[in-house]
Amino acid sequence: MTKLSDVHDYGSSKTKSRNGGLSGYLASKSPSVPNLTQTFTTRSMKETSPERAGYQQFGSPLVEEPTNLSVIDLYGDEDDEDADDDEDADDDEAEGSQSTSGVIADLPVSSTESPSLEAPNAFGAAKDLSQYDRYGFKKQTAHVSQEEYHMWWDQYSRYCIRRKRKWQDLLEKSGLAPSNDVPDRFPPRSEKLKRYVRKGIPAEWRGQAWWYFARGQEKLNKNAGVYDKLLEGLNNKKDKNNCKDLEVIERDLHRTFPENIHFQKDPKEGQEPLMIQSLRRVLLAFSVYNPKIGYCQSMNFLAGLLLLFLDEEKSFWMLVIITSRYLPGVHNVNLEGVNVDQGVLMLCVKEYLPDFWQRIIPKEQSRSNEFLYKLPPITLCTASWFMSCFVGVVPIETTLRIWDCLFYEESHVLFKISLSIIKICEQELAGSRLAHRGLRARTHGRDDDDIEVFQVIQTVPKKLLDPQDIFDRIIFKRRVPLNNLNQEEIDRCRKYVTSQRLKFKNCAEIMGDRTSAKASAKRDLEIGPDFVNNALSSEVYGFRRSLTGAHWNNSIKEKVRQIRRK
Amino acid sequence: MGNSISRVMVKMFGYREMKILMLGLDNAGKTTILYKLKLNKIKTSAPTVGFNVETVSFRNVKFNMWDVGGQDRLRPLWRHYFPATTALIFVIDSQDMKRLNEAKEELYSIIGDKEMEEVVLLVLANKQDLKGSMNPQEISDYLELKSHLDSQLWCVIGSNALTGQGLVEGLSWITNNTKTKDKK
Repeated sequence: MTKLSDVHDYGSSKTKSRNGGLSGYLASKSPSVPNLTQTFTTRSMKETSPERAGYQQFGSPLVEEPTNLSVIDLYGDEDDEDADDDEDADDDEAEGSQSTSGVIADLPVSSTESPSLEAPNAFGAAKDLSQYDRYGFKKQTAHVSQEEYHMWWDQYSRYCIRRKRKWQDLLEKSGLAPSNDVPDRFPPRSEKLKRYVRKGIPAEWRGQAWWYFARGQEKLNKNAGVYDKLLEGLNNKKDKNNCKDLEVIERDLHRTFPENIHFQKDPKEGQEPLMIQSLRRVLLAFSVYNPKIGYCQSMNFLAGLLLLFLDEEKSFWMLVIITSRYLPGVHNVNLEGVNVDQGVLMLCVKEYLPDFWQRIIPKEQSRSNEFLYKLPPITLCTASWFMSCFVGVVPIETTLRIWDCLFYEESHVLFKISLSIIKICEQELAGSRLAHRGLRARTHGRDDDDIEVFQVIQTVPKKLLDPQDIFDRIIFKRRVPLNNLNQEEIDRCRKYVTSQRLKFKNCAEIMGDRTSAKASAKRDLEIGPDFVNNALSSEVYGFRRSLTGAHWNNSIKEKVRQIRRK
Repeated sequence: MGNSISRVMVKMFGYREMKILMLGLDNAGKTTILYKLKLNKIKTSAPTVGFNVETVSFRNVKFNMWDVGGQDRLRPLWRHYFPATTALIFVIDSQDMKRLNEAKEELYSIIGDKEMEEVVLLVLANKQDLKGSMNPQEISDYLELKSHLDSQLWCVIGSNALTGQGLVEGLSWITNNTKTKDKK
């Protein structure tokens, strides 16, 4: 409930003075998310039991009756075993034996009375709330039916409760048990905590946990009052400077989560949703705060999702942190950051998913490094994964799990997730290929192949309703080569790709228009790569494979080159 | 390679497929058009950051339709999608007069590209249902296609993605105006 008390503080100390002069369009930040939550809370509290009040964070009561809990813990612990280490497994056992003390009669049967995390009741009559999930998103999407959702949620909600119990135990052991429901501090970093995060932070703690792991408070303390000043500035000169961004932002506001209940108009009140107002302020303030980025489509999704979990000012700083620390340069006007990351991803695909690599790139182009500069078409798709941090790419619960890891483990998570998704796509493609073998070979050309790959890459992620599909089945597996892909590797790889791209760019400039204007695509292939290859062919990126020679060889090469230059 | 096979297919079965690129400023309605054609449904759409690709079959033609994200700064991302495009559908928000000029500039910068020399151009004057929207003729006049394009085949059709008005007409126009090309 810290969030709510925060609001009250705002109301009393800060906003009064600020509110005076600010009005209308950009008004102050006060009537933002938390107030919305408050509305939900007060309204829905009447209908729910008092014990639940503590869980009203997003207007989404997480019901947790102790009697049910132990049973739920007993339920399906198996799927945990795989990845839990011994200590954790002990925990499991302990809980297991506790719960055998026989409450089985109370087994939650129907999905409605079991840990239902239904959407808020605030809009009551107007909308069928059973259609919305605990974050206010529509359960049914173009790729997931309501039935599929319920089938999954029935299991997954139990998992969530079980995990939350474990988190509570962990916090208690670390002496950080929260006095109210939401902890504001978490245990120091450890393998165990990492594993806990990977298995999902309890939904109602997410805002706080993200904020904590991303060291948001540090950032905010260094920049106390900055956000308020930005807002004031916006009010003063709103029609002048940032006009261009303002228009673009305005067009995207109502297209951000149009199916989320918090982003929709309350039919009774008819005014613009508070969430949209907050979103506008966060995006506008950001565009002023960081003109190098300004506003880039996809940031609306980042900010929108943050606003569902954090108050406005914190969301703003998290957006600053995401766009600088986790996705450096990705949203910059020249998009170089996203291109670099796609280059890195392509190197990873080449290394970890060689079969798929062959499928997306013609052999002759695979030899040189040119694909780092002229990125393969597939990156148009994967670029959007990075820009929006998977929001809208995978279903919400999976997105949130990715975000949990992102803030704890930093950006290499995004590459791991991308590779996992591509791996799932690859399996899907292999399946369809087998089914159509023969016929396909005769009648379909490369274009068809492309289309098929694109369609799979586009739709498969949207069906990944269950985060376990990625996390348990791919990332948690032991002895997966993917485990070697850590932050250090990604950082190194990013540097490498950045410099390679620069070289290719210089190369292209030196050669002037010879490649771009005169030559058609074919001639381009004849001259360009040869020239470039000679210049760059020796520089192949070596992934660190535990202690094999690849990396070592490469660094020797680099040294030799340096000596030669001298 | 793909082309030669599809040419054979045309001869044998009268069946062909083509790559269609759908472009236009952000919020013009590209994604809505795509899914109206594909699913006959209205998807509440969010800004497309990346792209959507769907195949739409119409008569004996399979259209591989690419709908690419709109915001201007995202455009460099899809520049390399120009090759092997049969037709370009350029979608315009007919009610957004303020940005009509921006749309015009964008259109000319696209069709000025080498790779786009041979494509047929269909302009969809979208959102015809909205009050005060310009009609296809007005849009066509504004874009001055007549005086600027001599070799290129082009056409402006009014559309409403919500009802589907104009979309099928558009596709059949493309079909009718690309046959000759495929056979050469």
